[in-house]
Amino acid sequence: MPSPLPFEIHHRPVVTSTMDVAAAEAAQGAAEGWTLVADEQTAGRGRRGREWTSPAGAGVYLSVVLRPPVAAGDDRLLSLLTLAVGVGVRDGLQVATGLAPDVKWPNDVFVGRRKLAGILAEGLALGTPAQCVVVGVGINLRTAAYPPDVAAVATSLEAELGRVCDRDLVIDEVLAGVGRAYGDLKDGRAGDILRRWREASPWAVGTRVEWESPSGPQTGETAGIDETGALLVRTTDGIARVIAGEVRWKI
Amino acid sequence: MTLDDIKHLIELIREHDLSEFELEQEGFRLRIRKGGETVTVQAAPVAAPVVQAPAAPAPTAAAPLAPTDDEGGDLAIVKSPIVGTFYRAAEPGAPAFVDVGSPVRKGDVLCIIEAMKLMNEIDSEHDGEIASVYVENGQSVQYGERLFAIRLKR
Repeated sequence: MPSPLPFEIHHRPVVTSTMDVAAAEAAQGAAEGWTLVADEQTAGRGRRGREWTSPAGAGVYLSVVLRPPVAAGDDRLLSLLTLAVGVGVRDGLQVATGLAPDVKWPNDVFVGRRKLAGILAEGLALGTPAQCVVVGVGINLRTAAYPPDVAAVATSLEAELGRVCDRDLVIDEVLAGVGRAYGDLKDGRAGDILRRWREASPWAVGTRVEWESPSGPQTGETAGIDETGALLVRTTDGIARVIAGEVRWKI
Repeated sequence: MTLDDIKHLIELIREHDLSEFELEQEGFRLRIRKGGETVTVQAAPVAAPVVQAPAAPAPTAAAPLAPTDDEGGDLAIVKSPIVGTFYRAAEPGAPAFVDVGSPVRKGDVLCIIEAMKLMNEIDSEHDGEIASVYVENGQSVQYGERLFAIRLKR
């Protein structure tokens, strides 16, 4: 059994963004497991400055401070960290609700073609003894969590389940899931994380994708992920390895 | 070839991390070598302009910790701690965190490197001024690749 993450959970009614508050706490030395849960975010955000709408009580908005040890040479702990968090959130949602969502590379959580939860990770002082990763998780609990204009591509737990959902239970199980997945990774069970990620990601093989490479836009068909978590895409020129940037899915 | 031309060449050599560079034109030959710390400009036997060369671009023995720039200030080279994609701004369309000439203080954000959706803010470890930006926005960078040179505040 992985050692459970010592969560120290703080609740706030309203924050700008749980990421900003947790990053500031981390910079002040907050220990691994320091967690902030907010009822509402006034400036919730996603990747590269995107907005994450966060009305009061409609979603789960939380950030966790992780302090992965600096690895010598093999830094799979860092490269697989965000995939592991995706696996952990997915597992936690399944335990809490019975729903079995999919993950989309690297770690979005989907039900069918609609996004249920998003994950963001920000590293601080990587490669130094003070290295730290702040992980943010946003989960749509009720349909009010997202604006109507994204209704075609978003969903919520309550919309999927057709019933009211216990927010505290979702928070507890998602944190427990993240703690387990991170513990597995830290204790050297990267293979287990990769296996669970692959099982939960039907799109990782055989899906048309478009992405921006340094040499311009590219298209291809997904061909799984490699041992470092990179997305493999079959193109006319061979297999491309995608490790960052925006990937558009033709699903 | 003027002194400015040679300075420009040295900048290019530094940027592309070349260890040796040789140029022969009618009238003279220029050879710049890093590590061996030689900068030679040889005039050809025929009447040729005499060119004074500036100091070697990156002497290693004299200043093991920080190379010296053309203006004699110490430079700190900021290298990438991970493999990923280099972003000069917080989000598309936002102003760059820093440009050449920007003053920076210890702890200021210089750039973001993304890998597996992990966003890494790279902070300055020095007070000074940005002397060079080696990588273009959106390019992928390797572990240990040079990102910036900071001219240290004295």
